[in-house]
Amino acid sequence: MSIALIAALLLWGTFVAVDLVTVPQGLFSRPLVSATVANAMAGDVSAGLLAGVVLELYALEVMPIGASRYPDWGPAAMAAGATAALVPGAGRIGVAGLIALPLALVGGWSMLVHRRRTARAITGMLDRVAAGDARAVWHLQREGLWRDTLRGVVLSTLGVVMIGVAGLVPWTSIEHLGLLDVAVLGGGLAAALGGAIRSAGSGARRRWLAVGAAAGLVVVLWR
Amino acid sequence: MSPRWQSLIRLLGVQASWTYERMSGIGLAHAAAPLLRDLFRDHSPERRRAAVARSAEYFNSHPYLAGVAVGAVVKAEYEDVPSLTISRLRTALSGPLGALGDQLIWAGEVPALMGLSLASVPLLGWWAVPVLLVIHNVLRLRLTLWGLDLGLREGLKVGAALEQSWLPRVAGLAQRLAAFAVGFGTIVVAGWLLDGRSDATRLGVAGIAVAGLLLLLSVATRTRVTGIRYGLVLIGLSLLVIGGLQ
Repeated sequence: MSIALIAALLLWGTFVAVDLVTVPQGLFSRPLVSATVANAMAGDVSAGLLAGVVLELYALEVMPIGASRYPDWGPAAMAAGATAALVPGAGRIGVAGLIALPLALVGGWSMLVHRRRTARAITGMLDRVAAGDARAVWHLQREGLWRDTLRGVVLSTLGVVMIGVAGLVPWTSIEHLGLLDVAVLGGGLAAALGGAIRSAGSGARRRWLAVGAAAGLVVVLWR
Repeated sequence: MSPRWQSLIRLLGVQASWTYERMSGIGLAHAAAPLLRDLFRDHSPERRRAAVARSAEYFNSHPYLAGVAVGAVVKAEYEDVPSLTISRLRTALSGPLGALGDQLIWAGEVPALMGLSLASVPLLGWWAVPVLLVIHNVLRLRLTLWGLDLGLREGLKVGAALEQSWLPRVAGLAQRLAAFAVGFGTIVVAGWLLDGRSDATRLGVAGIAVAGLLLLLSVATRTRVTGIRYGLVLIGLSLLVIGGLQ
């Protein structure tokens, strides 16, 4: 991996981490986007797209709603997308899951730490905020952005280290690596459909979900 | 740049100092600051400071709709509405803006777009990604600007204006579209991913997916089992099997 590629991946990973909550919340942190772009940086789009599609199934289960706890898929999918290109054929999906799932959980945990630190910063400036000091408000916003950027840098560095370690593994000599694909894909399908059924409730939305799944089945059989 | 555009840009980062205690209160004050600065140019600094302090109090809403509150609060400050009434307005807007935004965006537009993007990958390939980004970000910017303008126009009457607007109706439709798109996209993409694979692989994936669905939906396990946890357990088990077969 060249220095330029490492720098590009670090920048992209940091950007998608910040995109999740802080700014601009433009869906760049979705695994489908993050993994595909990361892989495109490495000169190949197909492996990243494949990794992104599978990880997106997991991400569909939980939406990043304000106070809820959710994984941070951005840097995780960046690392998975770049790693997927290192695995030829069978095992590509599985290795993407192996890299991304733990890193996404670490990302979710880092968000809690970030929020606790932000709360401490606000408490420290509460007098100025209560007095209507616009500069204190600006300072807190800027600090929050930098803190989240730092969080993104740490997660992306972790992701790049994982890509480096994955590069040392002789994937082609591992037999039955396809089992990992089966596990990660099966888990992703369960996550997407389980999340959809849970959030659809019991009324019209569940019927629309069933109609969508049936339409999807027709398309698959027709193709 | 006009204060309205400055405020719009700041609304893109309204959650930069989000906390469990104040939610996006600080971000709201930051987004309101350019409009308040313009508004109180000819007034005493004390009035502006009081308005900034009020803006920074606890506030919860969906980030894309925070502009509604920013606009309404600024208009109320401009009309010299008593501070208690402005605080009540913020409290009254908190719930509906959060709930409507979650229904429209997190449970509607985003899963709908992601489901349709997944379904389009077999057809469009990587082009699905830029298409998704353009559609979402155009919609998001338009929604934020619409909310800010609605608030600035309606002020204290923004609650009624919101209720009569297209938003509640479209939020319901978006959720139905999301349910359809996630069901459609998941099955289409599963077919694409399993295309050309052996029957044993297909059977294995289907079995794991059904077992996972039972765990995710069963009353006994659904609070503890999440998709990501299930995936991690499966990865651990498959690594053990692969290691044993070497």
